[in-house]
Amino acid sequence: MSANDTAFKTFSLTNDILEVSPEDEIYRYDKDAAKRLDKEAPWTKDPKHFKKCRISAVALIKMVIHARSGVPYEIMGLMQGKVVGDAMVVMDSFALPVQGTETRVNAANEANEYMVQYIQGSEKVGRLENAVGWYHSHPGYGCWLSGIDVSTQMNNQKYTDPFVAVVIDPNRTISAGKVDIGAFRTYPENHKPESSSSSEYQSIPLSKIEDFGVHADQYYPLEVEIFKSSLDNELLGLLWNKYWVNTLSQSPLISNREYAVSQLSDLHQKLAKAQTTVQSSRPTLPSLKDDTDGPKKETKKKEDSQLTKSVRDSMKIAVEAQHGLISQVIKDVIFSLRPGATPAASLARAEEVMDTTMSLN
Amino acid sequence: MSAMDTDDASVVLPPSTTTSGLSLSLHPLPILNISEHLTRLKLQTNSTLPFVLGALLGTQNGREIEIVNTFELAVDEGEKVDHGFLVSRRDQYKQVFPSLEFIGWYSVAPEPTARHIALHEQFTSYASTPLLLLLQPTATRPVGSSTDVTAQTLPFKAYEPTIEIRDRKTRWMFIEASYNVETGEAERIAVDWTARGGEGGTSVESHLQTQRAAVQMLHDRILVLVQYVTSVLAGQAPKDYIALRSLSALIASLPASESPAFREEFDTEYADVQLTAYLSTLTKSANILNELVDKHLLVASGGRDDARGQGGPRRRGMGRQGGIPGDWDRMH
Repeated sequence: MSANDTAFKTFSLTNDILEVSPEDEIYRYDKDAAKRLDKEAPWTKDPKHFKKCRISAVALIKMVIHARSGVPYEIMGLMQGKVVGDAMVVMDSFALPVQGTETRVNAANEANEYMVQYIQGSEKVGRLENAVGWYHSHPGYGCWLSGIDVSTQMNNQKYTDPFVAVVIDPNRTISAGKVDIGAFRTYPENHKPESSSSSEYQSIPLSKIEDFGVHADQYYPLEVEIFKSSLDNELLGLLWNKYWVNTLSQSPLISNREYAVSQLSDLHQKLAKAQTTVQSSRPTLPSLKDDTDGPKKETKKKEDSQLTKSVRDSMKIAVEAQHGLISQVIKDVIFSLRPGATPAASLARAEEVMDTTMSLN
Repeated sequence: MSAMDTDDASVVLPPSTTTSGLSLSLHPLPILNISEHLTRLKLQTNSTLPFVLGALLGTQNGREIEIVNTFELAVDEGEKVDHGFLVSRRDQYKQVFPSLEFIGWYSVAPEPTARHIALHEQFTSYASTPLLLLLQPTATRPVGSSTDVTAQTLPFKAYEPTIEIRDRKTRWMFIEASYNVETGEAERIAVDWTARGGEGGTSVESHLQTQRAAVQMLHDRILVLVQYVTSVLAGQAPKDYIALRSLSALIASLPASESPAFREEFDTEYADVQLTAYLSTLTKSANILNELVDKHLLVASGGRDDARGQGGPRRRGMGRQGGIPGDWDRMH
């Protein structure tokens, strides 16, 4: 393999051929094509033109770190990229110096100057893409657009389309061990979506549920994909060789403690609310097999009772806590045994945790 | 010094003469940033080895340096750094991440040359000892070394600048500095998720897989150590006292968590989590019971209903007016 490799490299060097693997092709920026597309503007004809949002590894990591650094406040930034077919492609992102509150973030004038300066500078260093979207964080309450977000995004789509809104939840990212991210576009102002296809259930704190419900059918989510270059791929593989230690040394239980507590108290509130609804107005859900008409089913799905929703929330909390505990118990088995001692006690505990986790699912 | 006498062009001090006492940690973000910068420039300039230049941002505390972020730099003709750009970008980053300072610069090359010294001198006004991080694109690992886990290193080299006096003249030289890879929790998750292509993540299975991979890594490394100690005992390997001493210190620190206070804390933690699971199970059972009661009531009252009766209770829940009379006394 190495001989082949060298031969190929010398060949491409002497002939000045640049080998571009298909996965790297997306990093090329064609100004003329972008201009042409801008003129055609296919996204103005179809309110749901964009279906996907592809985010580069670098942009994603930058956004997640920025979001995490802002906890408990909301942060905000811009994304640079382009349009390919029905996908918004985000190549890079940068933070904006905007001080958000815990529940709201808004770009003021001071940020505008920063924005313009940054984007002009980017062209100088070969970052030719324009701004294609903005991102902000929702620490602890999931990825969706609030009323303010919807109006911001609507304005953006009116004046600087194509534009996409990305929301990241840094707290859920940490607690679930998976990046919690959503990309959204709003419908034009008086557009009625044909079917309000309620997306996947997500738990939203009680204090936010109203805001969420009111604006939920003014926008739709895009499918989020991550892409990386061939060199990134190689480096990521090598990185694992270096940072596997962190997987062992970090305790998700401790870093999540605050968030877990807030989740539990939110659950408590929801249950308290469910308690009042349970006796008086909660009817059964007659989900019988002979229910054939489609739209009826749709509405039925949406009206899960308060209690059922709370059950989902509590399961989520429990499962995440169990995951944290699994890591801790594994470490306990590995690191706290005297040589020669029987690991029975620790192993029994590990077994117990696994059983609980399995039964929870 | 002999290596240098023979090779005048070398600007790197051989590791035997001096070692850099820096404790350097490198985050994955700068690594990926540089990789992305290179990939992008490759495509824009259509060459295999474009000139890549950028600044490193991070924190410095005494001899401890952490490289956290990077940004690209603009270059004028004759490889003059665009200082106006550098300053404005640096200040922009400073506004958003106040803790980050300019601590060095990066480039892509197999090894430092006189060209890098010239560049280096342009950075000295921003930091007293600007570090150099080099991505070595052609550094290929020997094939077949995969059995040796420690041999797989990142194609990055860090250099610390130093002044060398020779022939009554001072000149800048680079010393290679070793570095660790460090991640924050959010960063680790983001990198991990990216490495897996942005899928999965919450299931027990994938969680256990991550844990297993980490433990496997630890196991492999311990095996290497055991192998080394065995061969020292057999007299096949030279005794490295520093390594042996740290090994013995490591063993002495095990078991890591025997102090009673820790055990107690751990037990509490354990109980807390199990209680959460208990709570969740209770909620679940309550819900199931509730549903059962509702269903039972429906069946019990079902005799009085006609075929449309099934829809009744649900509608009644939404708006009390829409209900079907047959269900009104359901709860009584």
